[in-house]
Amino acid sequence: MQGFPQSGVPGPGPASDGLAQLQATMHAIEVACTSIQMHINPAAAEATILSLCQSPQPYQACQFILGNSKVPNARFQAAAAIRDAAIREWGFLTADDKRSLISFCLCFFMQHASSPEGYVLAKVSSVAAQLMKRGWLDFTAVEKEAFFNQVHQAILGIHGVDVQFIGVNFLESLVSEFSPSTSSAMGLPREFHEQCRRSLEIDNLKMFYCWARDAALCVANRIIESNSLVPEVKVCNAALRLMLQILNWDFRYNNNSTKTSINVFSAGARHDTDSLKRFECTLVQPGPAWRDILISSGHIGWLLSLYAALRHKFSCEGYWLDCPIAVSARKLIVQFCSLTGTIFLSDNGQMHKHHLLQLLSGILDWIDPPDVVSKLIECGKSESEMLDGCRALLSIANVTTPFVFDQLLKSIRPFGTVTLLSSLMCEVVKVLTITNTEEETWSSVARDILLDTWTALLVPLDSTGGNAMLPPEGISAAGNLFTLIVESELKAAASSALTDDVDSDYLHASVSAMDERLSSYALIARAAIDVTIPLLMKLFSERFSRLNQGRGVIDPTETLEEVYSLLLIAGHVLADEGEGETPIVPYAIQTYFADNIEADKHPVIALSSSIIGFAEQSLDPELRASVFSPRLMEAVVWFLARWSLTYLMHPKEIREGNCDSGHGQAHQLQSLQSREVLLSFFGEHNQGKLVLDIVVRVSITTLMSYPGEKDLQVLTCYRLLHALVQQKHICVHLFPLDSWCNLAHAFANEKSLFLLNTAHQRSLAQTLVRSASGLINSEASNLYVRDLTSHMATYLRELSSMNDLKIAAQQPDIILLVSCMLERLRGAASASEPRTQNAIYELGFSVMNPVLVLLEVYKHESAVVYLLLKFVVAWVNGQIAYLEAHETALVVDFCMRLLQLYSSHNIGKISLSLSSSLLSEAKTEKYKDLRALLQLLSSLCSKDLVDFSSDSIETQGTNISQVVCFGLHIVTPLISLDLLKYPKLCHDYFSLLSHLLEVYPETVAQLNGEAFTHVLGTLDFGLHYQDTEVVDMCLRALKALASYHYTETVCGKTGLGLHIAGLKDPGGNLQEGILSRFLRSLLQLLLFEDYSPDLVSSAADALLPLILCEQGLYQRLGNELIERQANLTLRSRLENALQSLTSANQLSSTLDRINYQRFRKNLNNFLIEVRGFLRTK
Amino acid sequence: MSDEEHHFESKADAGASKTYPQQAGAIRKSGYIVIKNRPCKVVEVSTSKTGKHGHAKCHFVAIDIFNGKKLEDIVPSSHNCDVPHVNRTDYQLIDISEDGFVSLLTDNGNTKDDLRLPTDDNLLTQIKDGFGEGKDLVVTVMSAMGEEQICALKDIGPKN
Repeated sequence: MQGFPQSGVPGPGPASDGLAQLQATMHAIEVACTSIQMHINPAAAEATILSLCQSPQPYQACQFILGNSKVPNARFQAAAAIRDAAIREWGFLTADDKRSLISFCLCFFMQHASSPEGYVLAKVSSVAAQLMKRGWLDFTAVEKEAFFNQVHQAILGIHGVDVQFIGVNFLESLVSEFSPSTSSAMGLPREFHEQCRRSLEIDNLKMFYCWARDAALCVANRIIESNSLVPEVKVCNAALRLMLQILNWDFRYNNNSTKTSINVFSAGARHDTDSLKRFECTLVQPGPAWRDILISSGHIGWLLSLYAALRHKFSCEGYWLDCPIAVSARKLIVQFCSLTGTIFLSDNGQMHKHHLLQLLSGILDWIDPPDVVSKLIECGKSESEMLDGCRALLSIANVTTPFVFDQLLKSIRPFGTVTLLSSLMCEVVKVLTITNTEEETWSSVARDILLDTWTALLVPLDSTGGNAMLPPEGISAAGNLFTLIVESELKAAASSALTDDVDSDYLHASVSAMDERLSSYALIARAAIDVTIPLLMKLFSERFSRLNQGRGVIDPTETLEEVYSLLLIAGHVLADEGEGETPIVPYAIQTYFADNIEADKHPVIALSSSIIGFAEQSLDPELRASVFSPRLMEAVVWFLARWSLTYLMHPKEIREGNCDSGHGQAHQLQSLQSREVLLSFFGEHNQGKLVLDIVVRVSITTLMSYPGEKDLQVLTCYRLLHALVQQKHICVHLFPLDSWCNLAHAFANEKSLFLLNTAHQRSLAQTLVRSASGLINSEASNLYVRDLTSHMATYLRELSSMNDLKIAAQQPDIILLVSCMLERLRGAASASEPRTQNAIYELGFSVMNPVLVLLEVYKHESAVVYLLLKFVVAWVNGQIAYLEAHETALVVDFCMRLLQLYSSHNIGKISLSLSSSLLSEAKTEKYKDLRALLQLLSSLCSKDLVDFSSDSIETQGTNISQVVCFGLHIVTPLISLDLLKYPKLCHDYFSLLSHLLEVYPETVAQLNGEAFTHVLGTLDFGLHYQDTEVVDMCLRALKALASYHYTETVCGKTGLGLHIAGLKDPGGNLQEGILSRFLRSLLQLLLFEDYSPDLVSSAADALLPLILCEQGLYQRLGNELIERQANLTLRSRLENALQSLTSANQLSSTLDRINYQRFRKNLNNFLIEVRGFLRTK
Repeated sequence: MSDEEHHFESKADAGASKTYPQQAGAIRKSGYIVIKNRPCKVVEVSTSKTGKHGHAKCHFVAIDIFNGKKLEDIVPSSHNCDVPHVNRTDYQLIDISEDGFVSLLTDNGNTKDDLRLPTDDNLLTQIKDGFGEGKDLVVTVMSAMGEEQICALKDIGPKN
């Protein structure tokens, strides 16, 4: 690496020999930059440039390069070096140095404003912005003003267009530097960034906005008057961009009140930030201080007229629809649509409405009339203006209620905004139907934006679903739109039916996108529920009869695909996704149909019944073979699962809740009755049991009559059956059904169910055991579980006592059967609940010995070993909290035997294979095993925290901490540092380790020397791991270890005893004790390496007890550090900093909370003070 | 040729059948499968359909357990595949002979002298080095469909 001569602080002109030095440096950097570009020895070139960045005080050299070099890249690198060095050394630069560095940068880019190398200027201006931020809290107001004056002069245009442009650009980089999401790291705590942001927002942001606006104003006329591209366009564009950036600021401090209490727009303001997040739409809420410049000054009118003027110019040379200035202007206009909050007067929304109307009338030309706009785009016009128009509608929809949204347009057009939205979307859907490609087209982008707009308007605001209704014509518009959408989807389905499946990854992505789209469709359908449900009904019956008539004659594939789509759409319209909660009947369905008090006329009942009737036909083998393809069954099962959660056996409590939505007493009563009719129809006293029976029989069919259809069986096991047993009110009705008993019986006996994917068998076992919660009492539940599971235990017991087990066990069919049984056991064990705990415990207890026998027999069959371990993990995890002392002793003993057996098979084992992928598979298998073992230990550990047994486990002489520690002792030798590179294993391992060290340091201390050293060796590895969470756990472990030792020794006990003393390694050299080693490596880490600033507090907590334990070593290390520092000023700074690290803030030598806090503060200050120059090379 | 000899012998002592049928849908990742008459370990299973409304088929990517070559197969998931009978036996390593054979001690005290050392240099060095260092080595011999090979080494060292 090439070093650089130490150049002094930038001062009066260089001495003559200095000049030669500077030229040499410049030359070296220029050569390096050129060789990187030519790709000649890039490593050496990078090293040269890096050494400039890392050399102390390289400012003079850098300024020399910036001023004199002819190579633009060299100037760029010099600017970067100024930044790196100044940020690092900021702490000990004089105030004059700091100021002069910033002025240098400011002057540089203004003087070179017309230079063709824009990227150098941009770099210098961003360096200036970063340095200004670094010193922001130290500079006085006068100093800042001096800088900004310079910038303001530039922006006013006094020095010409180029300087004006670069001035605006500088403000752009400054604002982005102060905005937390785009700021650069400076090695400072987060508070610093927060303070800077606050200060800029309160003191400067509005001023910057005005400057940008003024700059734009003063060039705008020139642009409008001229007929060709003028240089002012560049300035105007930059100014518009800066204004947009400022409006994108996350305003926090300008509001006098907090956000939630804003009530200025009570008719229209929306406060549901949750739903806003879904559309990734940010509200712009700058507060009342901005009213004068944004609202009252006619600013928006000016902006709209500027864009209108630009539109006329699109035929001129240099302007077109997507030219930068037009794009920026449109973006700014769209951004203004999101303006909301206290910036508007509390005049019942009048001011806001006026503002939105003004914007909307400007935007209208972009999207209205929809058919003309869409034709022009199809003929080749750019779509960007139309898409921006859609985005503007989305923004408006996000800040208004449906009513206000619709009214906006009424004052200037004969129809409302919703009608416009609907016809716009109809056009888009038409185009989509015609083009019909998988690729992303303008119409699919527009569709997604407009769907988001609908969602923003229609999504229910609270759990009662009470969103303000659309006006009547809006409802009919929504109905029309839905009809068109369904038509288009059906057409797409029919035409795609015969294409073969594409790449499955791509399919998954498009399925989830489809799901999102369907939820939006459902919202539109529910807005016009009285037409859309009958429409769906009609479409379904058409297709059902087509299937029946054409059976055996016509190829049904297209119709099947249409039914598939319809099922998905109907599922979304009728019911919401549960997401773990009990979904309620959608509000629209609850309240409309007030006239339908009779069940047979209720459209929702009719639609549901007809779909369930269709599903029932799949039970007939002949129909199944001809109509119910696996894919269609997937949709059927999906629909039944979703529908059942909402409608089947609806419990009374929910039915009677939330009925206060006031639409007049009479109407309310009627709609209540209608809802009652709907819910009781599928309740226990009406059709509920019948439907439930059909659902169960359909699921048996999909499991037994569709061999090998994994996707279908996944849905059946994980969606449909889980949905049934997840809810107690459905569960209780399962047992009286013959079909459910058939399922349980088939599970234990049917061969076809042993052919299911083993993971599905696990899920089935879990479902069946869980359904025991529907039985009347604990005895019945336990009896049922025993019956259900006895075949698994019996099989394993018989197998393990076979004479020729060793030979038989290797047969593939036996391996398969054993795997099935183990997966089933695991499923049953993981469904353990208090009322079935007894049966599950006995089940596990009865297979303890077989498990150990099988572990021995299958020691080379890693897939079986893993299943064995996972079963034990699930079983122990479900049982441990309930076990009595003697049971705990048995289980603990079993686990330890298991661990020892596993360890004896695997320690020192090396797999040999020609195939690298088989070797890496073997490694992955090992990792999974070990992770399971760690989970087992963690479960055992939890016995000390959660214990429901009647007596203390100590009565049987079980000490959990010793047990776990012993387990760790067995497991850790298997965990090589290589395996710890698996993130999940690493995480599990260190969380167990830090837990053990924090809770039971005394037990860990009793480990023998070798094991202890190994454990702590992994801790050292963890300290340097890239995941901060892992490092944090290691630091906590370290803190626990050191503070344990310190407090013990203070009381005169031995603490960690022998482990602390240095050991002699085999070569006879004295090795340092463990705590000394950690003190050394932690200091090394803190002072010289890279780490996240979030870790400093935990590092302080670990460092304090380490220092207290090893004071002698700490003194020595400190002295070494000081002596290594050649520079005298820096040396005395270091001395002082070290001094105050251990003495400032009345730090004492106790380990209490306050003292830890003080030390954290000290360490933070210490690092800020010295890390800058210690890390300089 | 010694190669044929070795084939013959392992056929003679294989009492059970060499492969078993198993439904393709039930074969999971890290299970075994026969593809092109070679015993393989499955490293990847994916499913797809024959046409949108057709039946599922499984796509297996598997690796020959003896020569490490990658093989692929597509089978309708309700059909049967052959699954090889893979046996693994531990032996203590007694000697490595000059002509490329190993001498192994069986459970009942006899020796087994018909197993060739692997030809791959890397594997060979791992076995020879371990043996050369004078450690007590247990080797695991994997056999399937009439072929056998050492697949793992374990150092039972001076401790036991």
